[in-house]
Amino acid sequence: MANEGTNTETLPPIESHLFENRLVDASQHQTSSYAPTTSGSEALSWTVQSSTGNGIYSNPTYQYDQHSQPPVRSVQDGQGVSSVAGNSSNLGTANVPQDYNAYTSYASSSNQYSYDSAGYSGYYNNYQQQPNRAYSQPVGAYQNTGAPYQPISSFQNTGSYAGSASYSSTYYNPADYQTTGGYQNSTTYGNQAPAWNNGSYSSYSSHPYTSYAPDSNSSYSSGAAATSVQYQQQYKQWADYYSQTEVSCAPGTENLSVTSSSTLGCPVPTTTSGYVTPNNQPPQSYPQFWSQESSAPAAPSFQPAAGNSGDHDGYWKHGAQISSQIHQTNPIQPNYQSHLDLNSSYDKFQDQQKTLSSQGTNLYYLPPPPPPPPQQVNPTPLQSAASLDTKRVSKLQIPTNPRIASNLTYEQPKTEKDSSTSSVTLKPAYIAVSLTKPTEKVSSNDAANSILKPSMFPKSLRGYVERALARCKDEKQMTACQAVLKEMITKATADGTICTRNWDMEPLFPMPDADAVNKDSSLSSTLDSVLPKCKKSPRRSKSRWEPLPEEKPVDHPVSISNDTIKYNSWVPNEKDRKVVVENKESKEDNWRNTKFSPLLQRISSKAPQRPFKKQRLADASVAHENGNASSDSDKEQSLTAYYSAAMAFSDTPDERRRRENRSKRFDLGQAQRTENNHSRKKNVGARNLYNRRSSALVLSKSFDDGVSKAVEDIDWDALTVKGTCQEIEKRYLRLTSAPDPTTVRPEEVLEKALLMVQNSQRNYLYKCDQLKSIRQDLTVQRIHNQLTVKVYETHARLALEVGDLPEYNQCQSQLKTLYAEGIEGSYMEFAAYNLLCVIMHSNNYRDLLSSMARLSNEAKNDEAVKHALAVRAAVTSGNYVAFFRLYKAAPNLNTCLMDLYVEKMRYKAVTCMCRSYRPTVPVSYVSQVLGFSNEATDGKEAAALEECLEWLKAHGASIIADNSGDMLLDTKISSSSLFVPEPDDAVAHGDANLDVNDFLAKAPL
Amino acid sequence: MAYLSMGEAHRRITEYLNRFSDAVSYQNGVSFKSLFALSSNSHFLLSLSDALALYNDANRLINQNQNYSHFSDIILPLFRSLQHYKQGNFVEAYNAFEKTANAFVQEFRNWESAWALEALFVIVYEIRVLAEKADRQLASNGKSPEKLKGAGSLLMKVFGILAGKGAKRVGALYVTCQLFKIYFKLGTVHLCRSVIRSIETARIFDFEEFPKRDKVTYMYYTGRLEVFNENFPSADSKLSYALKHCNPQHEANIRMILKYLIPVKLSIGILPNHRLLEKYNLLEYGNIVQALKRGDPRLLRCALQDHEDWFLRSGVYLVLEKVELQVYQRLVKKIYIIQKQKDPSKAHQVKLEVIVKALKWLEIDMDVDEVECIMAILIYKNLVKGYFAHKSKVAVLSKQDPFPKLNGKPVNS
Repeated sequence: MANEGTNTETLPPIESHLFENRLVDASQHQTSSYAPTTSGSEALSWTVQSSTGNGIYSNPTYQYDQHSQPPVRSVQDGQGVSSVAGNSSNLGTANVPQDYNAYTSYASSSNQYSYDSAGYSGYYNNYQQQPNRAYSQPVGAYQNTGAPYQPISSFQNTGSYAGSASYSSTYYNPADYQTTGGYQNSTTYGNQAPAWNNGSYSSYSSHPYTSYAPDSNSSYSSGAAATSVQYQQQYKQWADYYSQTEVSCAPGTENLSVTSSSTLGCPVPTTTSGYVTPNNQPPQSYPQFWSQESSAPAAPSFQPAAGNSGDHDGYWKHGAQISSQIHQTNPIQPNYQSHLDLNSSYDKFQDQQKTLSSQGTNLYYLPPPPPPPPQQVNPTPLQSAASLDTKRVSKLQIPTNPRIASNLTYEQPKTEKDSSTSSVTLKPAYIAVSLTKPTEKVSSNDAANSILKPSMFPKSLRGYVERALARCKDEKQMTACQAVLKEMITKATADGTICTRNWDMEPLFPMPDADAVNKDSSLSSTLDSVLPKCKKSPRRSKSRWEPLPEEKPVDHPVSISNDTIKYNSWVPNEKDRKVVVENKESKEDNWRNTKFSPLLQRISSKAPQRPFKKQRLADASVAHENGNASSDSDKEQSLTAYYSAAMAFSDTPDERRRRENRSKRFDLGQAQRTENNHSRKKNVGARNLYNRRSSALVLSKSFDDGVSKAVEDIDWDALTVKGTCQEIEKRYLRLTSAPDPTTVRPEEVLEKALLMVQNSQRNYLYKCDQLKSIRQDLTVQRIHNQLTVKVYETHARLALEVGDLPEYNQCQSQLKTLYAEGIEGSYMEFAAYNLLCVIMHSNNYRDLLSSMARLSNEAKNDEAVKHALAVRAAVTSGNYVAFFRLYKAAPNLNTCLMDLYVEKMRYKAVTCMCRSYRPTVPVSYVSQVLGFSNEATDGKEAAALEECLEWLKAHGASIIADNSGDMLLDTKISSSSLFVPEPDDAVAHGDANLDVNDFLAKAPL
Repeated sequence: MAYLSMGEAHRRITEYLNRFSDAVSYQNGVSFKSLFALSSNSHFLLSLSDALALYNDANRLINQNQNYSHFSDIILPLFRSLQHYKQGNFVEAYNAFEKTANAFVQEFRNWESAWALEALFVIVYEIRVLAEKADRQLASNGKSPEKLKGAGSLLMKVFGILAGKGAKRVGALYVTCQLFKIYFKLGTVHLCRSVIRSIETARIFDFEEFPKRDKVTYMYYTGRLEVFNENFPSADSKLSYALKHCNPQHEANIRMILKYLIPVKLSIGILPNHRLLEKYNLLEYGNIVQALKRGDPRLLRCALQDHEDWFLRSGVYLVLEKVELQVYQRLVKKIYIIQKQKDPSKAHQVKLEVIVKALKWLEIDMDVDEVECIMAILIYKNLVKGYFAHKSKVAVLSKQDPFPKLNGKPVNS
């Protein structure tokens, strides 16, 4: 199944290309048609990025983008479908056709696409939660997009395009392409992917988002505006995310031996840098790229400010329409592009989400793309996509066919809505938001263009920007300048002075500190590098039962293509690879689908931080997707998506959500089971075990949700981890996922570890940490024997010595069950501790009774237990004399537990004494009775007396001296003045051991 | 078992079904409840179970007639439960009966009036008894007993249905009491709190309107809870209420109440008549009362030791242990009285050594410090009025009422 959708290795390259091309085409169609301006922008951004990253590659991508943008794409798609092979050769030909060809060729490099899809899937997994949240807002945006989009299409039609086409052909290096075949494609693909990331990311980091926000607002309408602020953040996140993903990919890909992987890894850094530089500045290659980028929408000639092509203008118009930013020059474009990029990325995200939501969508792409859809008419492309989906589904033979079918149906309508205004009208939720925009959409491209065109940025502004950028000596400065410019322009746009200001007179801003900007970029890059690590955990599903995120791509089922594998590894949630595999195709599809509703996605991406509810309210149709957000795992999401898809037409969001939840319960079980089966076939060796376990865990979880099967039916023994780690020392880290056998120590090693801890001279914090990790490993491997008891006893004793009651209690409760299983240990000793603990600290009548009632006669004759019982009697009767005698004679660690009660007992005793004695009590007596001094040690008598005196004074007692100089406690006065002082060493959280400074100072870690 | 013809079996089953539908249609609660009394061993149900064993297509029979087919959710599992019960398979019987109960509760919810309350009571009772039996069976098979817990949550659901307003509310207390029984048995007493709260906070319904038997049971259990909480005055009032309203014929119930009431009374200084202990076979308390009367700490210790298990299990051990201070008080009082007889002018000065000597006679090994501590505590807890002079080791007692009586108040400072 996976093979079909993705560029599986097994498939002959050609075939894969075909498939992919088709797929790509379909997706592109969708994107172009669906995503209005955004799609175009996306394409642009992509191209730009790619171009920056790799000169050669970028061009192809560029063309590709263009194709995708205009309605032409559809045509192209058709062509591509018909003759994939021919396309590559055709590159040089007419503009549109060329584009197509290029595109197709591009597509033919099936690897790219597949790769993308794979990558997306990976992303998808990572992102799931965030995207969902975003949804509601996007709706409005989406509709808006419809209008801008059309203009783009018109662009392509225009003559300017031809140039670009040719351009693309040159870039393409057809020869290379052909020679390399699938391989090269993959590389290009990689570039693209990075480009995306870079684009969104770079723009993000380098350019303050504020500038962006206005643009987006203008272009996108109110919905976007509202979200704009959040956008930025999300953007960053996304960008990081992307970058991360890319980074992470690089290693995996390399390993895999796929060349594409290496390229992938590289592009990221390059792209970012390239991107920054692009504007105007010296780097030779740069100008071209830049132009390409800018032209991407319109014409390559763009670079010179004057040369703005109509397309370009139109493009801008979109942006400007609302905001009236019309006059922005090239420099602005970067921003714009970034926006676009962002959008694209968002779209992708959304797509992913969508795909996730509905597996059916994933299925779409297999079949050849439908006949070239009408240019701009979104609906048709959508339909084609739908048909694709259906075909795919049939091919895939997914076990869950019935559901899928429902999904398919669902998706079609959905896509339609997104893509075309008409479709939009279909869904109520969308309609409401879109109302304003629909008119725009309705208006022909020309109309829209005409309105927008005139505006543009004033030439003076362009000149200004050029001047500003001309000063830059290197890329860094360039980036910095761009950032400043962006800000300026946004500001100007915001306060409406953009057209009125005399840009020619405007003084150039001081050269920004390039380093500062660099920091940003470097920061982002570092972030990227760092993030991969973190990523796995961040989106982790809530339940512990989910399997570990896969870290070793190698383990993945063979059938899975390399790309997917890599991605899988990244995917944090990734409960099951299987899922990923299955989803890959779907994800790819999703990508494309996402393109349909770029704005939507964008918004969604912004939204993550917003509360769900709002979004839901905002858009009912989106709501179902949002509902998924709560679910932890991809699977869940996809499943829910199924259901939600099936119910897409239900009226109220609430109702839908409810149904989803209901259906979720059942789906989980089934889907996972099926997946399990798949995995069994595919898995090899250790992976097998692992997968089985994880899946079983998931299963159990789903069962818990209310499905019939009982937990007892799961063969836990077969699922237990067998550790292989040989390290004796291991830090404790609370498991956030299923345990990895390679980090779990087997029993023999644990024994050594225990010995090591027992003999260690290091402090308690270290030992506690070590013991906890030992305990964890024992638990994970379900080892219940004398070693376990020993470990817990050791830890309990250590904890008692330091007075770490919480830790002690954990051990004690474990010991209780272990002893109950009949495992030998120091039962009596701990029975006594338990008694003491209950007496002194819980002071719960019933607990005390039950623990006393549980004592056997044998236990009652044990010295430690007897002692504990005597202590209990002393405490309940308030007999302080007996208490402190017992305190001195305590066996084992009973003293430690009593220690914790001494202060209380002393205070009680003194209050009692002050009440009962008249007129005085000698301090020496108090000191003796309350355990300050030990009768046997005469030498320390004075010290003990002093200590007692201090203690009494600290508690407000009144001390007088008699004739002979002996200190006396004046009971009458003291009886009313006693109080419990605040402990000096108290910490806010009540545990001095956890004091931060203390911890930092002592911790050997 | 005598031979049973197929026709006879058919007849019995049909009769049951007819009774069922008649009871429902005429809202005859009395006849209705007898249809569920699984453990009552009524002849009718026993013969029915025989018939069911023979005639294994009761399902068809039920669905034949529209009068019963509506209740097939109730009747079918009930038949199954009956058969399992007959065979002594309590776990299965419980499982089936639980289904019946759930279906019945659904149905009950729809009945406007509370005519079927009695039947509900029977079901609630049967559920609990069956669950206990099933748990015993499970435990003997080495499995974890969990049915009673399940019964607890089921009853909680039933309680939720009854606890609202209206006529059905009268039944809430019965369910509450069954819940208490389950919780006390399970040792999950803390779960009682929510039920109690809803009973006590809902003022719409006067507590006195509940049936007496439920009130007594309720007071008994809440009184026991108060004992656990060491809230003796409140425990006293609740248990006394239970004792007062308990049917005097039910000596076992009275004994259960007294079992807790006596320690509570002791702790507030009220001693029972020995005949009471004899009558209700509570002689475990005999020596303790004796020790209190005599001021004999040794006797008290012996008594506590002799019946330690019993006291611990019933949960009164700690209550009784606290009586010790009263025993000391009595001892000092005795010394005081003897001194007074000898020399009234010096009677209020009790030398520590005298007390130590007295304790020695009682074979209680305590040194001066410890006795001094006891004296200090006695004074501190207001069992003795006066003060202790450390220098001279003398307890100086107040001339007026040196040994105040508790008078129904617990020992405290």
